[in-house]
Amino acid sequence: MLRWRQLVGVGLIAILALGISLVGFSQKPYEGEVLRLASMADQFTDYLVVLGRQFEELTGARVEVDVLGYVELREKVVLDYTTNTKQYDLATVDIVWTGEFAEKGWTTDLTPYINRDYIELNVPDILPVTWTQGEWNGKQVAFPMAGYVNSLIYRTDLLGDADEQAAFLAEYGYELTAPRTLDELEDVATFFSRPDDGMYGLVANGARGPAVAQDWMEYMRGFGGRVVDREGNVYVDSPAAIQALELFVKIFDEWAPPGAPNYWWDDRETSYRTGMSVMQSSWSIARAGYENPEISLVVGKTGMGITPTASGDNPAFGFGGWGIGINADIDPDRQDIAWEFIKWIASEEIQKEWMLNDGAPIRLSTLLDPELNEAMPWLPTMLTMFIHGDGDYRPRVPEYSQIQDILGLRVNQAITHELTATEALTLAAEEIRELYAD
Amino acid sequence: MLSRKGIFSQKYSLYWMMAPLFIYLAAFYLYPLIYSVYIGFYEWSLGDATKTFVGFRNYVSAFQDSQFTGSFLNTAIFVIAAVGIELTLGLSLALLLNRESWPMRILRTVILLPTLITPLVVALTWKALLNPDIGALTYYIRAVGIDIGRGIFVERGLAMAGIVLIDVWQWTSLITIILLAGLKGMPIEPYEAAYVDGASRWQAFRYITLPLLRPTILIALVVRTLDAMKIFDSVFAITGGGPGTATTTMNFHIFKVGIQHLKVGAASAMSNIFLLFSVLIGLFIIRSVFLSARRKGGAV
Repeated sequence: MLRWRQLVGVGLIAILALGISLVGFSQKPYEGEVLRLASMADQFTDYLVVLGRQFEELTGARVEVDVLGYVELREKVVLDYTTNTKQYDLATVDIVWTGEFAEKGWTTDLTPYINRDYIELNVPDILPVTWTQGEWNGKQVAFPMAGYVNSLIYRTDLLGDADEQAAFLAEYGYELTAPRTLDELEDVATFFSRPDDGMYGLVANGARGPAVAQDWMEYMRGFGGRVVDREGNVYVDSPAAIQALELFVKIFDEWAPPGAPNYWWDDRETSYRTGMSVMQSSWSIARAGYENPEISLVVGKTGMGITPTASGDNPAFGFGGWGIGINADIDPDRQDIAWEFIKWIASEEIQKEWMLNDGAPIRLSTLLDPELNEAMPWLPTMLTMFIHGDGDYRPRVPEYSQIQDILGLRVNQAITHELTATEALTLAAEEIRELYAD
Repeated sequence: MLSRKGIFSQKYSLYWMMAPLFIYLAAFYLYPLIYSVYIGFYEWSLGDATKTFVGFRNYVSAFQDSQFTGSFLNTAIFVIAAVGIELTLGLSLALLLNRESWPMRILRTVILLPTLITPLVVALTWKALLNPDIGALTYYIRAVGIDIGRGIFVERGLAMAGIVLIDVWQWTSLITIILLAGLKGMPIEPYEAAYVDGASRWQAFRYITLPLLRPTILIALVVRTLDAMKIFDSVFAITGGGPGTATTTMNFHIFKVGIQHLKVGAASAMSNIFLLFSVLIGLFIIRSVFLSARRKGGAV
């Protein structure tokens, strides 16, 4: 009798021990942890939320994504970092915030993590230009997450139309093609500007603030101009920059829809996607959207070409987009979990999945993937642009936000004819020099 | 020295009962105010470990900053236009709604709806309605032949008018309700006497309604003026202070300096100037209405 009892007792203990070990084995590594991520509201964001849920299923760590507009995002994360409230563990970091975030030590240097997980991350597969999303003086304060290139977006149905081509040839004496020089851009924009038919040749952002400043800098790059260098030398009042602003003013005077001086990025994209505007200089993240009939009236009618430059030679492409950084104030254990999330979303498999769902590439393998190339025939063009990408045409210096604010006002004053191009940039240069003098 | 019993005696119970209020006021009103005055004397960027004492330099710089002085003028234009129109329309609507009938009772409720909507939502809705290219209202404005150039928020001469329009749409009803409350509390006898003496409706309004309503108008004027001076949401959501600096108001400029540029010392100095200015305006309105009432021997 006693033996039976002993056997039953041992058996129960064994079952209990097995049960405990099985529970322990199946438990997810970060069960109960919560990562709070502040993200820019852009086309990639919806799927970032989905990825957050997948990460929870895999690891147990819940990812709460706070989706914010451009201005609000910067405000919220900067206030979080400066007041050490640890509200966010992770944040999407605009390429142009790199210098400021690095100098202030707001996001942690990821170099040790990257070196440790070099093989697992397949670092050589990550396109070199994308490292500008977070690289500053040997530190990597954000990891590349969504790479954008600026290119000329145009209507292939209009530029390829036989009647339009004949009329253009008769008027300008050369073939109508996607413009490669700024002179050609002017001709094509003028040719297609027909306000009475509700059609406008070329559109750009004009709203005071980051919208107008960033769009103008892309044209300034086309003229070979620059704003400042890392030593604080100011070039924004150079003849090339003034010439670029004169052309920029002309866009609003002659070729853009009436409301363009108050356009933000979404307004500009809407103007193109609704067929109102024929050409725009735009970020590649928007490219897939032109083929989505739910948001586009120009499905199958879009071409993606080089951004015209003054000479048409040595094409380079403005590079931008979003990295992802870890709040430097949070505990090292939480930083480790946050890094696991970054590593996971940057993996080849997830990057491909994200790309199929409005993501933006950072890897060579993503841009060469046969399945993706079949779904997105513009990827080879995009790869060329990434290879020739310039991540520094907007100065990624610590003073960028204030420089952008100055340009956001002065360029807007030029397009609304409160100031001439020369007056606007002379004032901007004085103000930027004062900024460095302080 | 008071004994424990003495401190907790009936004599001091009132102070004990008011203590939570004093603590609340000290923590949430007095402390931020004193701290704002304190950091206004320092050059300090949010996030920097050190602050440098600069005396009145932030105050001098504020007056040398053309955007700050420009925003002062823009705010004054906005307040005078918005509150002026709201007061005129609000009084007219209050007189209309002062009648007792079922449509008026319904209207009194409906008219309050704009004030219940978040200002940011109101701003974004109006931004869509007045979109220069695809806005429904823009279409009809142009259809009736009104020249708005490239659009209300695109033209420098019209952008502030657009911001005023939104404010008037949202806050006129608040003034209406305040004035309606004043009208409802008026005695009937002076009107009966006036009409017996052969007064016209205009004379009754001019010599009875307006003088009796003056204290209520004063309340509405002070409340709306001080609130309108803080205009921010529609500027932030629609124009970003543009075109150029056409709609840059003081609050918006201070926000840019403090929150976007993180120069909290400079922003605090500007806020303190703004606060002082607001207090002076409030006192000026109250004083001028009191003086006017005394001169005319009317009620205040």
